[in-house]
Amino acid sequence: MTHAEEPARRGVLNWLLGLWGGGVLASIVYPVARYLAPPDIPEAAALSTNAGSAQALAPNSGRVVPFGARPAIVIRTPAGELRAFSATCTHLDCTVQYRPDLQRIWCACHNGEYDLNGRNVAGPPPRPLDPYDANVTGDEIVITRRA
Amino acid sequence: MTDGRWRAWIDERFPLDDVLESLRHKRVPHHRYSIWYYFGGMTLFLFLIQVGTGALLLLYYRPSATEAYESVQFIVSRVPFGWLVRSIHAWAANLMVASAFAHLFSVLFLHAYRRPRELTWISGFLLLLLTLGFGFTGYLLPWNEVSFFATRVGTDIAATVPVVGEGLLRFLRGGDDVTGATLTRLFGFHVAVLPAVATALVAFHLLLVQRHGMSVPPSIEQRAADPGTVRSIPFLPHFLLRDLFAWTAVLAALAALATFFPWELGAKADPFAPAPAGIRPEWYFLWAFETLKHVPPTVAGLSGEVVAVAAMGLGALAALLLPLLAGESPRARSVVVWAGAAALLFLSVMTGLALRAAAP
Amino acid sequence: MTTVRWCDGAMVRRCARQCVVQRCALVACLLLAADARAQTTADAAAAAFKDDVHAAAGLACSACHRSAAAGMYDAPARTATAPLCATCHGDAAYMRKFDPQLRVDQFAQYRTSGHGKRMEAGDGRVATCNDCHGAHGVRRVRDARSPVAPLNVVATCGRCHGDAARMALFGRQATAPEEWSASVHAAALVKRGDTSAPTCVSCHGSHGATPPGVASVANVCAQCHLREAELFRASPKRDIFEALGQAECLVCHGNHRIESPPDSWVGVQEGAVCTQCHDATGDSGAAIVDIRRRLDGLQAALSAADAILTRAEHAGMLVDEGRLALQTAREHQVQSRALVHAFAAAPFAKTADEGLAAARRAHEAGEAAMRELQVRRQGLGVATLLVLAFLVTLWAKIRRLPPA
Ligand code: HEM
Ligand code: FES
Repeated sequence: MTHAEEPARRGVLNWLLGLWGGGVLASIVYPVARYLAPPDIPEAAALSTNAGSAQALAPNSGRVVPFGARPAIVIRTPAGELRAFSATCTHLDCTVQYRPDLQRIWCACHNGEYDLNGRNVAGPPPRPLDPYDANVTGDEIVITRRA
Repeated sequence: MTDGRWRAWIDERFPLDDVLESLRHKRVPHHRYSIWYYFGGMTLFLFLIQVGTGALLLLYYRPSATEAYESVQFIVSRVPFGWLVRSIHAWAANLMVASAFAHLFSVLFLHAYRRPRELTWISGFLLLLLTLGFGFTGYLLPWNEVSFFATRVGTDIAATVPVVGEGLLRFLRGGDDVTGATLTRLFGFHVAVLPAVATALVAFHLLLVQRHGMSVPPSIEQRAADPGTVRSIPFLPHFLLRDLFAWTAVLAALAALATFFPWELGAKADPFAPAPAGIRPEWYFLWAFETLKHVPPTVAGLSGEVVAVAAMGLGALAALLLPLLAGESPRARSVVVWAGAAALLFLSVMTGLALRAAAP
Repeated sequence: MTTVRWCDGAMVRRCARQCVVQRCALVACLLLAADARAQTTADAAAAAFKDDVHAAAGLACSACHRSAAAGMYDAPARTATAPLCATCHGDAAYMRKFDPQLRVDQFAQYRTSGHGKRMEAGDGRVATCNDCHGAHGVRRVRDARSPVAPLNVVATCGRCHGDAARMALFGRQATAPEEWSASVHAAALVKRGDTSAPTCVSCHGSHGATPPGVASVANVCAQCHLREAELFRASPKRDIFEALGQAECLVCHGNHRIESPPDSWVGVQEGAVCTQCHDATGDSGAAIVDIRRRLDGLQAALSAADAILTRAEHAGMLVDEGRLALQTAREHQVQSRALVHAFAAAPFAKTADEGLAAARRAHEAGEAAMRELQVRRQGLGVATLLVLAFLVTLWAKIRRLPPA
């Protein structure tokens, strides 16, 4: 090995090292940069969700809204009170709806009925619906899971 | 020669050249136990990874009982590469504990704690405790079922500490039970108190290491014809490049672990649900958990748990003060080796028993 | 004699002593001779009575043992038991004093029941009040320890109706309780603890127990299964079954051993319930085959979607939207199964197709997650290659460092 060759080889080695090192750095920087960019959905939906306009919800009617991975139902009683429940039927997990004619929350799957307090009063459902809190801020109904 | 101008500019304001100069003269002994010199650097590297990934997690994490779980779920499912960051933080935490233990035992068996490195040992031991503290406080943060109940059990053990137990329990939990208050509290420790203390201690530890250089094990020193002539390699670049090699390899391993074995999130903690079966603390606390299972209910008229906790505390204290307790004689050194081996055996057997009990 | 709240062994002996004094030597002898047995039964009765609703209401032994004043505590005749209980329980003015809500029609109902009719005809082998409610430890029906509480009532009826020898005397079978135990209703009650699940009394009544008639079966089932009953009643099947004298729900579902109906019941092949009347020919055969095809298709799509979502979850992916879509698909499956009772292809097909679409969405979410996983692994592969190249070069560099 001559003296001329040695530094040349070292030069190549350093160059390669820089190349691969740059690649390694890039594979660290890229995920971090992507992580830092705000995600499309900016926040974790957690304990509460907006359930639309309070005005638009007439007495003796109800509305089903998504709440996390499950549906919730918000109703306005004939007396004008707002109430919210899990909309998952306690029988076989169908989504319940409001029946103005019955003045009850009703499950179409097997005709399960819940009263305006979410109590199972007719049909197969074995348990009441889980209650949520419904509040109004501005004109927006906000449903909150009870901690 | 812009390079030189820059150097001059900096040097005028900060003694960079002095630092580089001393590093250039730093040498690391090279012998058959040299491999163990790498674990300190590895622990440091993993700590830096934790600081980096921890800071990233903080951008999206929310420390409250109502939102913690959802925010971690958000990180791993919605934030690009959030799954990677979280899994690396969780995996690196485990590797860091393992690496810190390896570092401690290698220092012990190579007798590197001897004069004048007593303070290095003591600060290092405190750093190990801090690392365990990081693990313990971080575990609850995702607010999932396993971590919730493991934290309940873990803090319960604190209650058995003689005299201050009750107070300690309330201090750790921020109340009588594990609640959202505990989460906020452990979060504060995890991301503010412990990092601040750890950073200061790491700096102190490194300063001492720098000051004293690497210790040469007595056995190697004796074997060398002349004590001053143990073979060594320069820190720059020989040792540092080897360090870099190990760090890069571990980084790749971490990425692979995170991709193929993503850290589980499980179900959200429900404080009112009955504890699910198989609740265990993290593996590095298993030995203590198992020991408590084996102590008889009463020892010499005292509660067995209290005795065991007191014994573990004394053991930790003895380990902390090891360099002050152990003399300089070869006999004293062999006592240390045997005690270290016994401790290692005890930890491994207890951990093994706990793991075996957990396996179906 | 003084009035006592309950009769214990000591009191029986006291009575015997009094009999001697009152020269009822024979009674005294009988009482004393039977002392060992009498004492234990009397003790047991007395102990049980302490926890009896009647004791709690302040009644004493003499309320039922009318000759207690004379020291006689023999049990009322079986044929006389129900009228005896009814002296209070049929008296609205009296019962109101204890609980204004209590019903007082039990005896009237009993007299219409199979048990009551035979009993009135003098056949003491059939059940009367104390056979189900107990005699000295009578509890409220809503007390979980009552023999007629939901979890106990089947065993109580089963004491006779599950006893083949006893039932043989009446030319009846004793299989109902056991069959019920294998039913979805038993599972709901016993395993899920759903005390609203039907037991014997839910369909047969309690005091007025009789088998429901052919025409009233749907009414009985409709107490809970209203949706299916409504659909059935609006369907052409109702009139057909009535004309044939068939017992509505029972035709397909049977009675005591009601099982969870598998999709394979719909069809024109072996084991399908439709084959009782239909075969593969004609429009109806085609409609049945079509309904079955959709049921199967939906189930297959659901299983496939669930499998891929589970696979993605096991690999550490969160697939919430997929799960939500799967949930919607399940809901449509439940609804479409109910819609089978409309016995018409159109409404069923619409719901089943919606379910199928939701199941497809769930499947796509699972596939997307698996693709994402693939991308992650490829990314890791590239990064690992870079790291390896770097490590190899670095090692070469370390080897070539000038000697220390
Ligand atoms: C300055 C340093 C650090 C910061 C800012 C930080 C921050 C965080 C945050 C925000 C979390 C919650 C997110 C999550 O659970 O995924 C977390 C979790 C955790 N941290 Fe740290 N951390 C730091 C250092 C450490 C160190 C040094 C260790 C270990 C020795 C550690 C161990 C853990 C563990 C075990 C978890 C739970 C992991 C999980 O289940 O996700 N952390 N950390
Ligand atoms: S699922 Fe709601 S009644 Fe059956």
